[in-house]
Amino acid sequence: MAGMCCGVNIGETEATAPVEPSSKSARRRRMEIHQFNFVPTDSTVAPPLEDGGSRKRQKMDAVVPVLPPRECVNAVENCEVQEEEKVEEYESQLSGEITPETTPFDLSASPSGSQSELCLFPERPKFGMTSVCGRRRDMEDAVAIHPSFCGHDRSFPGGLHFFGVYDGHGCSHVATRCKDRMHEIVRDEFQNGGSSSWEQTMFESFSKMDKEVVECCSGRNGFSASTCRCELQTPQCDAVGSTAVVAVVTPDKIVVSNCGDSRAVLCRNGVAIPLSVDHKPDRPDELNRIQEAGGRVIFWDGPRVLGVLAMSRAIGDNYLKPYVISEPEVTITERTAEDECLILASDGLWDVVSNETACGVARMCLQSRKPPSPPRSPGNDIIVTEAGESSDKACSDASILLTKLALARHSTDNVSVVVVDLRRS
Amino acid sequence: TQSFHKFFECWIVEQDQHLQELISAAREYEERRGRGCRQDDGTTVEEDVQDRTLRPLLERVIQHYEHYYRAKSRWAKSDVLSMFNPSWRSSLEDAFMWIGGWRPSMTFHLLYSKSGLQLEARLTELLQGLSTGDLGDLSPSQLDQVNELQKQTIREEKDITEKLAKQQETVADSSMVELTHVVTEMMREGQVDQAMDTERVDETLAPKEEGLVEVLQRADGLRLKTLKEVLNILSPIQGVYFLIAAAELHLRVHEWGKKRDARRNEHSENGHSQQH
Repeated sequence: MAGMCCGVNIGETEATAPVEPSSKSARRRRMEIHQFNFVPTDSTVAPPLEDGGSRKRQKMDAVVPVLPPRECVNAVENCEVQEEEKVEEYESQLSGEITPETTPFDLSASPSGSQSELCLFPERPKFGMTSVCGRRRDMEDAVAIHPSFCGHDRSFPGGLHFFGVYDGHGCSHVATRCKDRMHEIVRDEFQNGGSSSWEQTMFESFSKMDKEVVECCSGRNGFSASTCRCELQTPQCDAVGSTAVVAVVTPDKIVVSNCGDSRAVLCRNGVAIPLSVDHKPDRPDELNRIQEAGGRVIFWDGPRVLGVLAMSRAIGDNYLKPYVISEPEVTITERTAEDECLILASDGLWDVVSNETACGVARMCLQSRKPPSPPRSPGNDIIVTEAGESSDKACSDASILLTKLALARHSTDNVSVVVVDLRRS
Repeated sequence: TQSFHKFFECWIVEQDQHLQELISAAREYEERRGRGCRQDDGTTVEEDVQDRTLRPLLERVIQHYEHYYRAKSRWAKSDVLSMFNPSWRSSLEDAFMWIGGWRPSMTFHLLYSKSGLQLEARLTELLQGLSTGDLGDLSPSQLDQVNELQKQTIREEKDITEKLAKQQETVADSSMVELTHVVTEMMREGQVDQAMDTERVDETLAPKEEGLVEVLQRADGLRLKTLKEVLNILSPIQGVYFLIAAAELHLRVHEWGKKRDARRNEHSENGHSQQH
């Protein structure tokens, strides 16, 4: 009702979005049952985190936005820890010249010798991110954003941008691991892997990510155990996994790789175009694949692989292999002038907000918060900065409004939303 | 504890009076805001109302909560057991209680629910980038702080739950097992007088009750702290809306529970009289 007059049909989508209580509670129970069967350690009986542990955890939660702070206005999870993370991450292109303390403004305004190199980034991504615990007692979502994470010295002068949303189940450590490592694996694979296509690069990357997770869980890899509630006790550890939806944005393409039920949606000229298809066990092709591998999908509180996991692909979940696989589905979309934004989110959003509504909301935010004026000549840094800020604020507004809408519609899960502005200036 | 029961009854009457004040203050604020007046010094009328009316009101309401927990703490020291089984609460409230009161993490559900209702009610304005100032308009940094506070609160809540578990387990420690055995033996041997001696029993139970007092005080401490910290994150008018929602929930659930209990008692009495 409220949304009608601004072209976002908010009221109507109530009907299309799966908001009936059975599905919501089903989704929540998915994890509870999962834990019941395979993770006897109840979270409430785990020893309390010590001070050191909780600090570490906070640090692990950080999203590593490796940018001047204004680029990430809305990094809801982690603002206070950006700085530590940044240094190690953004070695080559940023460290030294840009620190949030000394250069709170625009990249292009950066002094020093690297200016010419930085000016080669014609396109800095504008994005907003919100990630909250919501109505759950555990935070198992993780988000990673790495602008210009690789490739800027090769065929793409602007660099490639990495966005990932990971929704963990059983515990948070697989999602956390994905957040920390996936972009590095993709970068290595892209630069050194010799893969001939994006598809192959992403296949290899997801496979390596999955191997790492399984290895670190079996204790072969030094990985701090105090950061998560399952404490990496091996028998339960096998029953932990995460979705992964990763978007690599190049100057002319959007490469989306997906595993599980997080989702990427492109908003193009007001139309919502899903760039990933959720891996649900009752998706006909997924059902076939599982059955051919000798597995079964049992309807117990919704379709579940072996009656346990309510998604058919995931990183981790070693105990459900080979029925649950980590192989991503990859879509490669050519960017067009009509592209407005890209939304990546966990099912905390998609359970209660349709693709169309999400696009409508994000679009409204981007349009109603237009930069006051186009960027001026390079000499006029303040104007450029203002324009940039206003634009990033729009993405942040979009991500936070979508998150609040999900909470308003009784999402019972963690909610993580990334909005990337794709408009060309 | 009869007196704490009375105290509680008075306190909720006062809470209802505060609720009425909070509602009037919110109405007045929204009216002035709707008119969008500006004053001579350039400040908006709503800023003025926030400072002059809302802040002192919030302060008073918070003091009222503090008053409640101070009194509760005092009575708990003399009779902790009644605090775990409060006669002034209905069985409906009892069922949703955590360590003698509301669950601290409930705060965030209350906030998100109220925020969601206000968001949906004024979505059009928010979509256009207009500010509504209410709980639907939580800013990125507010949501960030709420999220952090929620995680911290849940950690502390789990920690206190663990402490309670430890206390409850002491019911079967060796002092208790020994004493129950000794008393049983005395009764078998007909030493009824000695068996009825309460001094040793009181002595054995005393440290356990002290432990419970400590757990209860930590739980109440977390409740009050969570409430205050949420209000610190919110603007004055948002704080008013939050306290309205909190008082409405508390008072209505209490009334519904009392009514249900009364109905149930009637039924069981009727059942008895029919049998006779």
